[in-house]
Amino acid sequence: MTTQQFDLMVVGGGPGGYVAAIRGAQLGFKTALVEKEHLGGVCLNWGCIPTKSLLRGADIAHTLKEAEHFGFTYDNLSFDIKKLVQHSRAVASKLTHGVAHLMQKNGITVIDGSASLADKCLLNVEHEGKVTQYKATHIILATGARARNLPSIAIDGDRVWGAREAMTPNALPRKLLVIGGGAIGVEFASLYNDLGTDVTLVEAEQRITPAEDADISALAEKAFVQRGIKVLTNSIVQSLDTSGADTSALISGPKGDQHLEFDQVILAVGITGNIENLGLESLKVETAKGFLQADGFGKTNLAGLYAIGDVAGPPWLAHKASHEAVICVEKIAGVDGVKPLNKDQVPGCTYCRPQIASVGLTEAQAKAAGHSIRVGRFNLNANGKALAINEAEGLVKTVFDENSGELLGAHMIGPEVTEQIQGFGIAQQLEATEHELAQSIFAHPTVSESMHESVLDSLGIAIHQ
Amino acid sequence: MTNEIKPINMPKWGMEMSEGDINAWYFAIGDQVNAGDDLVDIETSKIINTVTASDGGVLRAIIGATGETHLVGALLGVIASAETSDAEIQAFIDSNSSAAAEPEAVAEVAAPVAAAIETAPAPVAIPQAANGLSKLAEGEDDSLVAASPVARRLAAEYGVNLNNITGTGRHDRVSKWDLEAAVLAAGGRLIGNSINKSNGAVQFGDDSNVKATPVARRIATQLGINLLECRVSGDRGRVCKADVEAVAALKNKMPAQTDGSSTASNSTFESQPISGMRKTIAARLQASKQTAPHFRVHIDAEIDALLEVRKQINNSNTNAKVSVNDFIVKACASALMKVPAINVQFDGEQLSYFSNADISVAVAIDDGLITPIVTDANHKGLVEISNTTRDLATRAKLGRLKPEEFQGGSFCISNLGMYGIKQFDAIINPPQGAILAVGAGEQRPVVKDGQLAVATVMSLTLSSDHRIIDGAVAAQFMSVLKGYLEQPATMLG
Repeated sequence: MTTQQFDLMVVGGGPGGYVAAIRGAQLGFKTALVEKEHLGGVCLNWGCIPTKSLLRGADIAHTLKEAEHFGFTYDNLSFDIKKLVQHSRAVASKLTHGVAHLMQKNGITVIDGSASLADKCLLNVEHEGKVTQYKATHIILATGARARNLPSIAIDGDRVWGAREAMTPNALPRKLLVIGGGAIGVEFASLYNDLGTDVTLVEAEQRITPAEDADISALAEKAFVQRGIKVLTNSIVQSLDTSGADTSALISGPKGDQHLEFDQVILAVGITGNIENLGLESLKVETAKGFLQADGFGKTNLAGLYAIGDVAGPPWLAHKASHEAVICVEKIAGVDGVKPLNKDQVPGCTYCRPQIASVGLTEAQAKAAGHSIRVGRFNLNANGKALAINEAEGLVKTVFDENSGELLGAHMIGPEVTEQIQGFGIAQQLEATEHELAQSIFAHPTVSESMHESVLDSLGIAIHQ
Repeated sequence: MTNEIKPINMPKWGMEMSEGDINAWYFAIGDQVNAGDDLVDIETSKIINTVTASDGGVLRAIIGATGETHLVGALLGVIASAETSDAEIQAFIDSNSSAAAEPEAVAEVAAPVAAAIETAPAPVAIPQAANGLSKLAEGEDDSLVAASPVARRLAAEYGVNLNNITGTGRHDRVSKWDLEAAVLAAGGRLIGNSINKSNGAVQFGDDSNVKATPVARRIATQLGINLLECRVSGDRGRVCKADVEAVAALKNKMPAQTDGSSTASNSTFESQPISGMRKTIAARLQASKQTAPHFRVHIDAEIDALLEVRKQINNSNTNAKVSVNDFIVKACASALMKVPAINVQFDGEQLSYFSNADISVAVAIDDGLITPIVTDANHKGLVEISNTTRDLATRAKLGRLKPEEFQGGSFCISNLGMYGIKQFDAIINPPQGAILAVGAGEQRPVVKDGQLAVATVMSLTLSSDHRIIDGAVAAQFMSVLKGYLEQPATMLG
């Protein structure tokens, strides 16, 4: 049997891989996609989408809690977490089928199995013990990443959950320890707190969401503490003792060591690239710190091999993977005007309550980069819509270069800010200055008026504060 | 007030273009057209390109219907003001059709007619009516003018040079508002206003102003359907075929069948007009065989040493995936430098000697064949040749090559080794002087020092144009080429 040959083969069916395959097919490549588990990858099956489905449940729990404030009283309220998980899984399954349909519609050959490089432009795909070889002029690795373990603490799926177990619980934990105050950790802390669990959040750095602007982190921590989440920063979980009925954690922090008891632990201390068993070592493909090394268009050091998405390094975001997919394929196809990824223009969203969204440089990063800056701040407690929906905790912070007027960064915390950050993203892409943003008309009453006011504040002319 | 009538002619893109196929019109008769608008797609030998409007006005007539073939210079359509009478338009068409010959009548005498058209005077355009809008178009490169992205794009659509617009934005930047004010002041009409204008009280009245695809308009006419009845789901806001068919289905009007005289339905073949690319392939290969006396020389080369070097290069350099074909390109480039009499183009009268080896590599694509060029192959290393070839082949298959990337070349290589073909003869790609046909490298018995041995052998055949390349020269080239392939290290010198 002759070896089947493709112009483009993509390994991994997540938001990087399936987008690369579709864009490739659109451009006329004879395209195949290899996936070992589920089309849609972690994002659709075990990440973004199912967690957002669960967080909708948390929102409802929160709304119910404050219903009395709006004049509603009720009794006999009950909650079955299995139904919430069911909803989450149903959404994931629906989207996975959607991706399968897109593959079919675009004439993409979907190959089930685990792929590894046999040589340059040669892939072995193993499926149910049988290995099939494929030739491809261009191979894109989009194999994603998985949760990282600590040297002393590892995910066991029972006492210690990773994100995957944390989004499919059979029962609600009583006392939960979340290790890691990054985006994934704070989302689960927020979720389980809203659902009624007693949550302790431990972060090794000085503040939770350490990648965000310091002002945003401070507000997030304040909101978390107000909600009853115990936040331990500058703290490290040294060890877990799982011998008893409850898990005992040894946590060292600024005030010394303490032993705390939990019935459940979630480990969310970052991720590591899926670079194993791909045949990278024998072909001397460059990796660093667990991720593939690629240029701004995804090209690796190996002829005909490209890497995009989580496996190609941070930021580990679905939309970054999809964007890299498009520029990688368009670059191969010689499409005019393709620009390499600008990591300062990748928005980041965290779906805790209140939500956090940002794009570009923080104030500290902008200063460190040598910019003389102009900063605008606007608190949501002066925003009519935020008050009307009783979610007036929040801040919009804008950072401009004082000389060029370039929007270096925008940082938001508050209700639905994840839906608003794109406004700043577009402004950044169009290289708008604070003046164009100041001249734009923002609708009233909206939470997004705070974006406008923040820009006005950077010019010292905010109207409502 | 102006009664200027402007012709849309079949353009001449490149020396070899003598005719073009009308692929698609972007406007229908009666549409308002602005200078710079895409008017019609023309398919030529190997590319599809778009003719843009040099002036604004109303598209009053389409002479070159979609699917037709017309000679270079032929009248395809007419743009004039809405006030110009139909009689004037007709007179213009008549006078122009007699100047540029009837498309059907000239097929056999294409060359002289094309020559005549090139020297024909420009038709009736009345120069003194250069209006304000065309003044706005004049000026030097405006890429440095400060303008908003929207203003810049609109300027391109209106055909306006931004040097002529006074910017009132911050730092005197030209805004959309500035541009539109200038267009209006010059007597122009804003894009997008033509639809509103005709939408007054008319209901199912004159549909000539409705934007529709040519196919949709023709079917609508055949079925007696008014385009104003149809929804608009086509691109560029046009009524498309599906829209007309939807109305037809509603009214129980099936799309008209072709005349009853059509052939029996149980035929075992399907007739299809050939593509522009297929026409080019057909014409060029036929011309080559008819005009160039092909003289062939054949040689076998042992490539075991080459395969070993290839393995070493690919193992030592991660960014190299050098193929046997890449070696052949490199070896040919070196051999062409040694035997420059092969590195030539010949147009029947003039012989052009090339100082660099621009090697065309034949790539099979879905609907034909294209020959992207590895330029300066004599100055490129193997890895560079390899990566260049992979990029060219990738884009060739996607139809994304630029004309300069496949037009020209001083020598051609056609390799059918991957299909297991042992040996074949290729037809010279004119105006080149020679082509190398490469077969599969395979293990064959060979006799060495009176002993039978096994070697990997590849058969190579050079077809050369015997008018300009003598047999001994072709033989010398093949002998040098064989030397490079059998001792690849000698290419480095």
